[in-house]
Amino acid sequence: MSPFLRATLTIAAKDLRSEFRTKEAFNASLSFSVVILVLFSFAFDPTSEQMQAISGGLLWLVFSFASALSLNRSFARELQNDCLDALVSAPIPVAAIFLGKALANYFLLILVEITALAVFALFYDTHFAAQLWPILLVIALGTWGMTVIGTTFSALTVNLRMREVMLPTLVYPMLVPALMAAMTLTTDLMNGIPLGGDNLLWLRVLTGFDFIYTLLAMVFIDIVVVG
Amino acid sequence: MRDRIMYVLATLSAALLTWNLYKIFMILPDEKNQGAIYRIVYMHVPSIFTGFTGFFVALAASALYLITKDLKYDAFAAAVTEVSLAFASIVLATGMIWGRIIWGIWWAWDARLTTMLVCWLIYFGYVMLRRAIDEPTQRARLSAVVSVFGCVDIMIVYKSIEWWRTQHPAPVLSVRDGGGMGPGMESPIYWNWLAFMCLASILVMVRMRQESISREIDSLRRMAHAY
Amino acid sequence: MDPRNFTYMFYGYAAAFLILVVYVVFLFRRQQKLSSELDRVRRMLEKNG
Repeated sequence: MSPFLRATLTIAAKDLRSEFRTKEAFNASLSFSVVILVLFSFAFDPTSEQMQAISGGLLWLVFSFASALSLNRSFARELQNDCLDALVSAPIPVAAIFLGKALANYFLLILVEITALAVFALFYDTHFAAQLWPILLVIALGTWGMTVIGTTFSALTVNLRMREVMLPTLVYPMLVPALMAAMTLTTDLMNGIPLGGDNLLWLRVLTGFDFIYTLLAMVFIDIVVVG
Repeated sequence: MRDRIMYVLATLSAALLTWNLYKIFMILPDEKNQGAIYRIVYMHVPSIFTGFTGFFVALAASALYLITKDLKYDAFAAAVTEVSLAFASIVLATGMIWGRIIWGIWWAWDARLTTMLVCWLIYFGYVMLRRAIDEPTQRARLSAVVSVFGCVDIMIVYKSIEWWRTQHPAPVLSVRDGGGMGPGMESPIYWNWLAFMCLASILVMVRMRQESISREIDSLRRMAHAY
Repeated sequence: MDPRNFTYMFYGYAAAFLILVVYVVFLFRRQQKLSSELDRVRRMLEKNG
């Protein structure tokens, strides 16, 4: 295994271990997403046909709000006892720290999302089963986009006075193309339209978004964290 | 020297604007479907040209800052982004007023409009971020990264609108598809663009002078602390 | 000139120039604030130094 990969996995394991000891971020995002799912039932008639047309959008709204909760803390939690300085001075590339943190966040988010998806299916009579694998693919790609942007901006705003305000102002506009693509694809898939034709364009937008921003984040993370 | 350039630019843009407005209101014929309101295009399109030119210049300046670490480029990028944001606001305002008459609604949630709004939000985030950081090099570094990320994002959004249905009028300028406007009706757009560019340059110069004053204040303060 | 939609055309041009004027006022006010701050810091330095 290359040293870079080993460093990445070490960081990811460290983050996951400390998260699963307290389950702080996990519990927060999970309960938050369930509460939002319940609240949506008051905003729309959950039994109507209209529900099918907007289900993909609702699901991704839940995901993006829930992700903000855990991504916010990704770098901020290293501020206590100057852990961030210790991490940066460790003899590993900053990109490895970033990638490790992103992988840990990704794993956590996917867990939250799978649970939320099950709750969604139970409460809102949506039909995942027919297109389960394509939907999971879209979730995997969309979540990676959210994770990369969220983790990068978590590092960028870590030392700011108004971190909690700045993060959403910067992150959500950046996420627009990814969320737009993921929402369109998920809605289509839930309505029984298979992947292919027009949909492939959106899949391409989503994949391109993930690829470009992973690359950009790996290049720029050094400047963001160290300077 | 700089003052003289500013006076020359101011005279030039005032003269151009006066001549253009005279031509637009007094000489140009009416468009047969839209009535007088089509004249908004002479503000709308030059503003978006100016705004986007500015955002690309800001991207270049941010990249130059990251390469050279010279705060001069950072001041330039900040000034250009802020002025371009003002022109982007003009685009949104004039577009909404035109849409109120032609489409019957203030905001059509059309793809092109959404792109422009996302663009506005991203650069608004940039300006907000700059206000949240006090330390000059940290501010320069982080906002340069946001500028690069934001510009890439806008390119992705811009590409994806071509795949979304749009009710925005297709580009009617001859540079794009051989000309859809009547003879003599297109040139005021370019002349206004020139006038707006002169105006934008003056604003950028004023804004940059402010940046250098605030740098001077910073260094004087540091001297005061050194005693 | 065609009288149709004339008011809204006027609103459009007014809005565009209004935004520019607002931005210039904003720049002007910041200029004033910065100048007075510069004066204050200079005077403070002279008094102490």
